[in-house]
Amino acid sequence: MNILDNYQKNKKNIFFTENKDVQNYREKLLTIFENDRFDRKNNESLKNINLKNFFDFKYKYLVPEEISVINNYQDDNYSIVSINGQCSNFKDDKIEITKILDEDYNDFSKNNIIEKNDHFVNLNSLFLNSGFKIVIKKNNNIKIKISNIVTDDALTIFQKNNYFCEEGSSVSLIEEYENKNNSTSNILNVIKLEKNSKFNHFLIQDNSPNHNLIITSHSSCKKASTYNQKVYNFSEGYVRNFHYSKLLETNSEADLQGIFFLKDNNTSNNKTFVKHLAGECKSNQVYKGILNDRAKATYFSNTHVDQVAQKTEGYQLSKGILLSDNASYFSKPELKIYADDVKCSHGSTIGPIDENAIFYLRSRGMSKIAATKMLISSFINEELSSIDDEQMFQTIQKKLVRYLSKVK
Amino acid sequence: MIIVNSETLNTLDSYSKNKYKYGFVTDIDSEKPRKGLNEKIIKYISSKKNEPSWLLEWRLSSFRKWKKMKEPDWANLNFPKIDYQDIYYYSAPKGFKDKPKDLSEVDPKLIETYNKLGIPLEEQKVLAGVAVDVVFDSVSVATTYKGELEKLGIIFCSIGEAIQKHPNLIKKYLGSVIPPGDHSFSALNSAVFTDGSFVYIPKNVKCPMELSTYFRINSENTGQFERTLIIADKGSYVSYLEGCTAPKRDDNQLHAANVELIALEDAEIKYSTVQNWYPGDEEGKGGIYNFVTKRGLCAGKNSKISWTQVETGSAITWKYPSCILKGDNSIGEFYSVAITNNYQQADTGTKMTHIGKNTKSKIISKGISLGKSQNTYRGEVTFLRKSDKARNYTQCDSLLVGNQCGAHTVPYIDSKNNTAVIEHEASTSKINEDQLYYCRQRGLSHEEAVSLIVNGFCKQVLQELPMEFAVEAQKLVSISLEGSVG
Repeated sequence: MNILDNYQKNKKNIFFTENKDVQNYREKLLTIFENDRFDRKNNESLKNINLKNFFDFKYKYLVPEEISVINNYQDDNYSIVSINGQCSNFKDDKIEITKILDEDYNDFSKNNIIEKNDHFVNLNSLFLNSGFKIVIKKNNNIKIKISNIVTDDALTIFQKNNYFCEEGSSVSLIEEYENKNNSTSNILNVIKLEKNSKFNHFLIQDNSPNHNLIITSHSSCKKASTYNQKVYNFSEGYVRNFHYSKLLETNSEADLQGIFFLKDNNTSNNKTFVKHLAGECKSNQVYKGILNDRAKATYFSNTHVDQVAQKTEGYQLSKGILLSDNASYFSKPELKIYADDVKCSHGSTIGPIDENAIFYLRSRGMSKIAATKMLISSFINEELSSIDDEQMFQTIQKKLVRYLSKVK
Repeated sequence: MIIVNSETLNTLDSYSKNKYKYGFVTDIDSEKPRKGLNEKIIKYISSKKNEPSWLLEWRLSSFRKWKKMKEPDWANLNFPKIDYQDIYYYSAPKGFKDKPKDLSEVDPKLIETYNKLGIPLEEQKVLAGVAVDVVFDSVSVATTYKGELEKLGIIFCSIGEAIQKHPNLIKKYLGSVIPPGDHSFSALNSAVFTDGSFVYIPKNVKCPMELSTYFRINSENTGQFERTLIIADKGSYVSYLEGCTAPKRDDNQLHAANVELIALEDAEIKYSTVQNWYPGDEEGKGGIYNFVTKRGLCAGKNSKISWTQVETGSAITWKYPSCILKGDNSIGEFYSVAITNNYQQADTGTKMTHIGKNTKSKIISKGISLGKSQNTYRGEVTFLRKSDKARNYTQCDSLLVGNQCGAHTVPYIDSKNNTAVIEHEASTSKINEDQLYYCRQRGLSHEEAVSLIVNGFCKQVLQELPMEFAVEAQKLVSISLEGSVG
């Protein structure tokens, strides 16, 4: 079913259809979809994907019957179960969780769009059917864990989450995506950091082959705030990780990192984009990928340094290992620099596992497979060893062992 | 620190006022038809050049393709729309039909022009031992050392002459590397190309001298549509030099050349360019639009193609000398220095397509931005499925002088082979204050110090140029910085 039909038939299920501004914005989006040629070659958001799966879909959404419970254990730890993208309201002196509001929607569509041609974000805005807003209150230090659960088959979830970190707050957020049904989740996170706040964001993605996950995040940092993101992608289904970061005021930092493990026919598209809009900020973008069988991956990274953003430090690194003849990896590490007193660099490598290293290990009695596995583990060791949370470390370790067991 | 900074400002200021040295016009009457692009003008060009009918047909079909095409718009460039109907597509110096057989018969004014540029033909002939195929407004005027090259069986002539004398080679290779339908500028060039060079090196011949062409755009509103074709047969070697300077003009001039290189088994082609077209004045008025397509095909095993370029001129540079590494063990290299100043915009880089096994490529790119210019490196490295053990190394560094310019790096890396290895690194920074301080402490003036550092920054590329060019290129880099600093 095409996009327009889907939209008109399912209006009752879609958020904010009454709001005038939202309506106007959606009208615009509809015309964009109507006129676009879906140029897969030049539109980064469309590379390597099956257009029919994503733009010719059947809309289906179920409002969850049971409302999720928010547990608060050991004072600063919160555990949230989000069902089909929704969760119940909650309020204490540290955080406040509410349903997403139309003003948040309008704020995003007016101020935060970095890329107009991102069809997945446009789809999200058009069909929005779930989402919540979390405010972390001033000077609090908390941990949140969110399990994202999709209850039924063939659902299309379009979710917008807003995170707002008040001044001096610090939050560590672990998000888990482990779904076994063939649904599609299109999630957009908008994260706002006030002065001196800190946000550590972990995304653990491990879906079954038919579950598609599209995650886009837009973070913006005010003075001396820090946004760290780490993505661990073990999914067997399609995953798209597009993460944008804006450094609005001085001394702010953004660190966007990710590792992905692909096999079979799996595809993953990744993008990180850091926009330096003030001086003395730092950014870091590191993605590492391991591709087996016929897997395909893309990684676009981009550092944009505005004319006023002097004394910027911006680094990018992308590394890929191809384990099979039929795997392919595309990377585009871009620098756009309009200020002169900056230190920016990028590095990118793609290749097989170092044969000399394999030879060394084999000459010491290891089998070829054991040597390969050992070298893959060491390739991402840096990313794993930096995990503080013991429980999370164990989870990821387990997933890694599972992936390695399939490597031949 | 403060002293250095204020000096930097002064130097920038004075640099931006540094006038284009080669801005003069030789007054030679040009024979030209009307402006505009249509089938009639293509037929006119073809009949003027006395071309066979298959070539006219080829031109016309390219023109039809062009009509359906849009200009490529992915480059990081801003310029007003080109009015293709407001350009002359053919002009030849008067009296071309009685072509002089000797340099002494050449129009003295023409000789004078080159003297002003510091490349006197006569002297070059004697001192450097360089055969020069001079292109002056689309038509080749003088070719030296032809006899000597003929003895070795080397063909070095204008493409117009080659069409007459070696139609089989032309028919076989023209458009084989850059198909007319590749993009709109290649289609345009294929439709209206007027002149350019043709080189054929026979089997196992090492060309004893550097072949060289000096291009000059001289007539107002004349787009130059050069077509260069170089074929190196099995086991041969050739080094080709291309250099450009253009007189000062206010109207933008379009330049859309196509250069095709073909290296067969064990052959090597080295192609060096120093490009110094008129870049426009300090307000960004005027200047050449340079949309060049350069592509080399390493067709045979163990072949090698090496591009070296020093780009200092043109208001707009759109140029991606590329290599298609088809033969096993073939090698592609790209060395580039691009300097932009005032309102210049450069979007340049390369494309390395690895098809054969054990193919290797190396990319070294240095960009220097000054004034209000934008300098972009855009490069693509592709490993196709069968390119086992292929290897690429890319390094692109940018230097920013002043805070109103921009330096951008846009690499595309695509690997479809798991034994191929690619390494890419890039950095962007300004001139290191510590290095400046060190040089100044040892008694160098600010200008000398910057010039030294910039020359050091570019050295990796400049040393790849042949001797004849290295001197000119170094001079050019110094001239580009002269007055800009100190």
